[in-house]
Amino acid sequence: MRHIPEEELHSYLDQALSRSQCVEIESHLARCAWCRASRDGIAALRDRTTALLSTLTPVRHRIPPSWDSLSLQAAARGSRRVRLGQAGLWAASIAAAVGLGWAGQGLLSRAPSAAPTQQAALTVPSDSGLVQQLAVQTSPETSRAPEAPRPAVTSTEQAAATPSAARTHRTVEERSALMDSDSSVSAYSPSEPVGSRLSAGGLPSSDFDLTGGGMWRTLSWDNAKRERGESVPRIRGLPVVEVQVAAASRDSSGQPTMIVAQQLRSGQLIHTIEGPATDVTRLLASQRSEGKSPWPTMDDSTAVSDGTMAMRHGDRMLAIQASPSVPADSLRAMIRRLNAANR
Amino acid sequence: MSRVDELERLYQTSYTAVVRFLYRKVWDADRAEDLAQEVFLRLFQHKPEKPRAWIFAVAANLARDEARSAIRRRKHLTLLSTDPTPAPSRVQAADEAVEHDEQMEAVQQALAALTPRDREVLLLWDAGLSYPEIAAQTGLAVGAVGTTLARARKRLVEAYDTQHAQDHAAHS
Repeated sequence: MRHIPEEELHSYLDQALSRSQCVEIESHLARCAWCRASRDGIAALRDRTTALLSTLTPVRHRIPPSWDSLSLQAAARGSRRVRLGQAGLWAASIAAAVGLGWAGQGLLSRAPSAAPTQQAALTVPSDSGLVQQLAVQTSPETSRAPEAPRPAVTSTEQAAATPSAARTHRTVEERSALMDSDSSVSAYSPSEPVGSRLSAGGLPSSDFDLTGGGMWRTLSWDNAKRERGESVPRIRGLPVVEVQVAAASRDSSGQPTMIVAQQLRSGQLIHTIEGPATDVTRLLASQRSEGKSPWPTMDDSTAVSDGTMAMRHGDRMLAIQASPSVPADSLRAMIRRLNAANR
Repeated sequence: MSRVDELERLYQTSYTAVVRFLYRKVWDADRAEDLAQEVFLRLFQHKPEKPRAWIFAVAANLARDEARSAIRRRKHLTLLSTDPTPAPSRVQAADEAVEHDEQMEAVQQALAALTPRDREVLLLWDAGLSYPEIAAQTGLAVGAVGTTLARARKRLVEAYDTQHAQDHAAHS
């Protein structure tokens, strides 16, 4: 009697054989003690392999993003690609037109003319969503390279300063910009804040007053940096709109609570709050309706509620508040990055 | 069930398996999570015909690219670094943790002792792919998957036992 080859027993145990093959093997096993022993040996080997491989499991620190946030991110990526493609074609056509004009001018007058990029910049319509996209895409570049052409920065500022333009791409774009910020904050280089030129009134509305009416000073971004150096709690890569500092602190370290408002590409606002835990807790509590879970009281614990996430470190607390509220996963990811950056 | 629902279900059921699969290639939990997210982002964009096999194919490709760039980075770092690397300051507290780490390292080495094809087939099987899916991804004939798995399992256990015996001899 011919015995069953080993690999076939593997396939049999892996349930990778057809019904008829299984019947054949089972009837053979019923009659053949040698093959039964072989099957048991292979079953043990299989289990052992699985057990060994199971030790190679990562210790997970992160909560996977929700499907919704992932699909929004994917949608944003797709639309960005399409739009960048369009922008590329459009820019190429302008460059061609300017190039022709330039060449024509050269033929007529032979006089030296301005750089073609500058002429192209003049024709950029400031209210175009396309341009906004282009500008936002290029702004990290410009902050790295100060000699980069001016138009990108100008249109970013214009786009941010006119809420109507900023709102052009609400819904998916709005959420997606947020996803970008949480997934690639570290990859972004900080773009130049536009805050000093914006008044709160001109911004897309924030539906809560974070300061709760206490004594607060409003600082310019430059002054905030001068006061607190690099420790201004913020999400890198997003323009800072406003920085507010509490007039008094209960903390012995003397660093009062600071609220940094930042604006997403879409106009949505994110507030980062850092300060003595007692002050921040009170501030957060004043924003919320009754009956919600309390904010963290123990070291290193976190809490999330209504588009707000808080994390406590000793007697300091870091919180993020987004309006309108964003998925908890995104908040969690953002606060982890902030926390890492602040340590 | 709509197409998107199907993808969402796949995401819910396979995300952990994809992270684990990637981890066993890049050996960095955070990186594995990043790459897994990238896999599912692409899944959503492409909506492939056979999504389950597809995600692991993309994961394998991403891990391969990652390995290549890691080699480049290492070369670069070797050129840059002149100081000796500082000793890890964290002291492992529990014996259990140490033991687990040792076992993990031994399995990791045993896995590294397999041929790339055997390793790939074994990891894909462990990730839950069927024989036809493994065959499609690796270019093997379906009939050859069982043979490859049989060999891979045997070699993994042998390599691990040899490793273990050597470690014990070294400790005693």
